[in-house]
Amino acid sequence: MQSSPEPPAFEHLRAQAASLGVDPTDADLEAVLGFLATILPALVEIERGLPLETAPADPYAPAGETA
Amino acid sequence: MTAARLARELRAGELSPREAVQTYLDRIERIDGELNAYITVRAEQALAEADALEAVAERGPLWGVPVAVKDVIDVAGTRTTAASKILSENVATRDATAVERLRRAGAVVLGKLNTHEFAFGAMTTSQHFGPAHNPWSLDRICGGSSGGSGAAAAAGLAAGTLGTDTAGSIRIPAAFCGVTGLRPSSGLVPNDGVVPVSWTFDAVGPIARSVEDCALLFDAIAGTRSVVEGGVEGLRVGVVEALLDLADPRVADAVRAGVATLVALGASAEPIEVPMLAEAGTIKQLVMLPEATNAHLEWLRTRLADYGADVRARLLAGLFLPATAYVTGQRARRGYCEGVDRLFERFDVLAAPAMPIVAPRIGENEVEVGGERVAFRLAVIPFNSPWSLAGLPVLSVPCGFVDGLPVGLALVGARHADETVLRAGHAFQRATDWHDRRPPDPV
Repeated sequence: MQSSPEPPAFEHLRAQAASLGVDPTDADLEAVLGFLATILPALVEIERGLPLETAPADPYAPAGETA
Repeated sequence: MTAARLARELRAGELSPREAVQTYLDRIERIDGELNAYITVRAEQALAEADALEAVAERGPLWGVPVAVKDVIDVAGTRTTAASKILSENVATRDATAVERLRRAGAVVLGKLNTHEFAFGAMTTSQHFGPAHNPWSLDRICGGSSGGSGAAAAAGLAAGTLGTDTAGSIRIPAAFCGVTGLRPSSGLVPNDGVVPVSWTFDAVGPIARSVEDCALLFDAIAGTRSVVEGGVEGLRVGVVEALLDLADPRVADAVRAGVATLVALGASAEPIEVPMLAEAGTIKQLVMLPEATNAHLEWLRTRLADYGADVRARLLAGLFLPATAYVTGQRARRGYCEGVDRLFERFDVLAAPAMPIVAPRIGENEVEVGGERVAFRLAVIPFNSPWSLAGLPVLSVPCGFVDGLPVGLALVGARHADETVLRAGHAFQRATDWHDRRPPDPV
């Protein structure tokens, strides 16, 4: 299942933040929605173009390297 | 004076480490009030360390050379603030490995340099420690996040500096301040003792006046022995036309002239297309944002109001991405890296604008790129993320001026081909004098 290109509802963000012990202001969440409105549609496009056989890169350094 | 020349004079006994350190301290005292490049100056400690060097039998390549490091890099006994309120009283108990290696090479650390808060932004306009001012025009930003390093190198407030680069933070200030900066290949320089932004992408590297100076500092912190002489005869340069098309035409012209200089020196150049170039910025964000948020999670819970608004918003954004986004980012990164690796079967170096514009004014959050007004943050991503996403070494060298402000040429190498980009940059600087130009003293 693909991610949704739509930013989550304000109340959903607040509940999710609370579940993680974070208490943002309304102004914080407005700013976050601005970021999500840009990145979520782009995320969906990248998900669509990824072949299923593509495994993740090594997480903390490019392949074959040590940090 | 360049670090390389100063090192030669120190070794020749033409001046002592104390005299070198005092000269820089006097200059910092005189003009840094206008630039705000430093957060902390270690005057007494630096002089004492300079005196102690006289007794050292084995004199390294940076013996007595005064340097300064970005204030996310630990220096024992000195605070590491990351230009933040949260770490404003945080005193490091040990040197970062990069600093330890600088000291082993003989360098003296003058102090800690201004940065964007937590190195998580490209302007160096901390709400807590104030903006760093561009030596070429005091009302303009230095770029970031290693803006203090760029300003200090340009204004001669240290013989060389260290910055860090997660998404352009060495290359941006190097370009905006008219100095030379190297983002090394990921993994070459240890990151321990450095406040993290994103473990996958963070890299410590030099910002200094010349490629020769950067190579001196880079070799000290990476444990390499770079040979920068040798020229560019036969070097195959791939020109990233898509980024030239996105840049201010006057910036693009300066970069094209830089490529023409390399060709005149014996390199060949042809246009290339970088696969997935347009997606690279998003892929980078999918990995970087959750890692940064993870690094800050405890402070997000307990000190949220103590972040500047811009950094707080970015860190919170990482909190709300779906869990699958990080995995998608790492999968896409693999595909992207494989495509970029193939480019280096045909080319030795890629050339592009380090930045699409010259330094904007402090407080100017939107800039004009390609005839459109866009957020500064979004304007710079396409020029920096593609290279750090793949862990590639990138050198920014001054290649011209637009409206009296410096322009940077980015030379990108294959992973671990740091020496290749240094050699190309050094050949370029032997043939040009852009890196020798200095801003007037502000006072």
